[in-house]
Amino acid sequence: MARELLRRLRSWEGLLLLCLLVVLAYNISRVPNFLTMGNQINLFQLGIEKAIVILAMTFVIISGEIDLSVASMMGLSAAVTAAAFESGVPLPIAILLALSVGVGFGLINGYFVAVVGLSSLAVTLAGYIGFRGLARLLVQDRSVGDFPDWFTDLGQRGLIGPITLSIVIYVVLAIFAIIVLHFSGLGRLTYVIGNSAPVARYSGVSVVRTRMIIFMMSGLVASLAGILMAARLGAVRASTAEGFELDIITVVLLGGVSIFGGVGSMVGVLLATYLVLNLRNGLVIAGVTGNTQTGIIGLLLILSVLLPNLAERVRERLHRRQADAVVRNQETPPGDTPWVTEPG
Amino acid sequence: MKRRELLAGALGAGVLIVNKSSLTLAQTPAAGGDVKMMLLPKFLGIAVFDQANAGAQEAAAELGSVGPDFVGPTAENSVAGQIEFVTNAPAGGYQVVMLSNNSGDQIVPAVEAAQEAGTLVVTWDSPIPDGTGESVFVAQVDFTETGVVMADMALSILGEEGGQFAILSASPDAANQNAWIAAMENALKDEKYANLELVETVYGDDQSEKSYEQAQALIDKNPDMKLIMAPTSVGIVSAAKAVQDEGLGDEIKVSGLGDPSEMLEYTLNGIAPEFALWSFIDLGYLTYYVSYLLATGEITAEAGQTFTAGRLGDYEITKDPTRPDVEALRVLLGPFSIYNIDNVQAASDAIKAAASS
Repeated sequence: MARELLRRLRSWEGLLLLCLLVVLAYNISRVPNFLTMGNQINLFQLGIEKAIVILAMTFVIISGEIDLSVASMMGLSAAVTAAAFESGVPLPIAILLALSVGVGFGLINGYFVAVVGLSSLAVTLAGYIGFRGLARLLVQDRSVGDFPDWFTDLGQRGLIGPITLSIVIYVVLAIFAIIVLHFSGLGRLTYVIGNSAPVARYSGVSVVRTRMIIFMMSGLVASLAGILMAARLGAVRASTAEGFELDIITVVLLGGVSIFGGVGSMVGVLLATYLVLNLRNGLVIAGVTGNTQTGIIGLLLILSVLLPNLAERVRERLHRRQADAVVRNQETPPGDTPWVTEPG
Repeated sequence: MKRRELLAGALGAGVLIVNKSSLTLAQTPAAGGDVKMMLLPKFLGIAVFDQANAGAQEAAAELGSVGPDFVGPTAENSVAGQIEFVTNAPAGGYQVVMLSNNSGDQIVPAVEAAQEAGTLVVTWDSPIPDGTGESVFVAQVDFTETGVVMADMALSILGEEGGQFAILSASPDAANQNAWIAAMENALKDEKYANLELVETVYGDDQSEKSYEQAQALIDKNPDMKLIMAPTSVGIVSAAKAVQDEGLGDEIKVSGLGDPSEMLEYTLNGIAPEFALWSFIDLGYLTYYVSYLLATGEITAEAGQTFTAGRLGDYEITKDPTRPDVEALRVLLGPFSIYNIDNVQAASDAIKAAASS
């Protein structure tokens, strides 16, 4: 376990740490009060909803699936909260309603993937369109706000000193996610299914149940993030959180999680989250515009998806060449190769 | 091993290249010296905001200061992006943020935090509706007058017999458009506009495709509609294009607030016989002057302060009469320009010349 941890640290996580240090050093050298509590809180607070959904997405991708519907779910849950509140439902009830919508649609996603056996890409693409459509039906072309002060204060002001509720929730969920992924049965099942679902099924693992749980968690966490975003921004539009799914998936992949499942660690994902938050913070402080920021995040995605796969290809080719060389060596000198058993 | 080094190198280089253009850190304001400012439009990629930037850079050069950083979020991320820029402005050493607010009152916590950290927030084009945290609002025109101007244009296009018209606005969070629409609805109560019937208000979010789709939907849904009134430079172009593409230029007209250089062909071909605007170059220029004088302490943000803004002449800070319920200050740029077939060509040429200089 300890050796495995060390090996991982030397590989992708080590690389992330190096990048993080470069970005940190750069930001510290440019921005005098970069390391102050205030700026660090700002840095998390401005991307906190994505950071929260990233935790659940890590489970989804390690299990070999994808959930494209998370950002639409965030928008839908914000819209449900706003629409229910607007029609006179007390806000706490509206929030519970939104959370149950998240659980419900998460289970529906899970049902179609795990029980019916459809591709999660197709199922959650439907959710991506459908949930956003529902959000549009609920709040139309408007901006729904005027929430009570306690709600927006929770989203915007410090709960423990300057630390906001969202950040507290994030820290608790991150610790929970590390424990579940790396030290629990559910975490082990997630890896096993991600490596090979058929093998998992034959070895008696409950693939269906595990997948259902993962998609339900994804829906629940996304709807929670949507509510937190509504509280932070103080208003809800049908387009709330639009386009977030790509940023979220980017960070998970950048964290060293394989898009094919079975590989990755929560530590890598947390490092990647902090790296991207720092990068964005540095870019904004340096006065880089939104389009360029999006471009740079896109470049990160390309690098984080392409490089590991390219490296794998190169390694395979090298191995094959070595194998070929061994075969040729065998042919030229007659006999005398003690480490290869000649077929009789 | 190789892979690791390669990626680290690439990322490191990316970060360095991107940040190479970054800026000097906070200095204390000093009259005649550099003042580090951010010009933050609703989002980038809008011609009139580029013109405002040209005006602000011109003013900075006159005052011997570094030009403002012209930054903005993407259109889809406008609200959260503006909050992000304002929140990070003090850490970035900005002394003033010049903000065209697209985030309603949602931006207030970020603006208040910035003011507390010593970064002034001067709004232009679109104010903070409740005025909280805003030093001064540099208004392009009087917002009440905007409503009357739009009602008058509708009347002059539709004539005495009047008819149905619809409004195609920017985003539902846009404080300026919301104020103008409210002012127009108020103006329409006057007896002389009795034959004008507003059937619907829709939002194109200041994105060309969405505005175009909304305009088409209006055309399909309202067979008796004779006019689309778009109080946004993006919406008006999209509406005119939609009318032209449907081949309905004789039945449906387009009016509102538009950039002459973008509206030229539609005014010449009769789809948009009349529209209005102010000079965004002058708006950027005046905003920079106000911000610079506030940052250097030559004026303070209170009613009654007067100052000279270069080539534009003398101005005064007053209480904002269009937001009577809140404590808000305003500097008013000046009157509307109404464009029609007689003057649109000359105005378009002037804008193109100024933008390319």
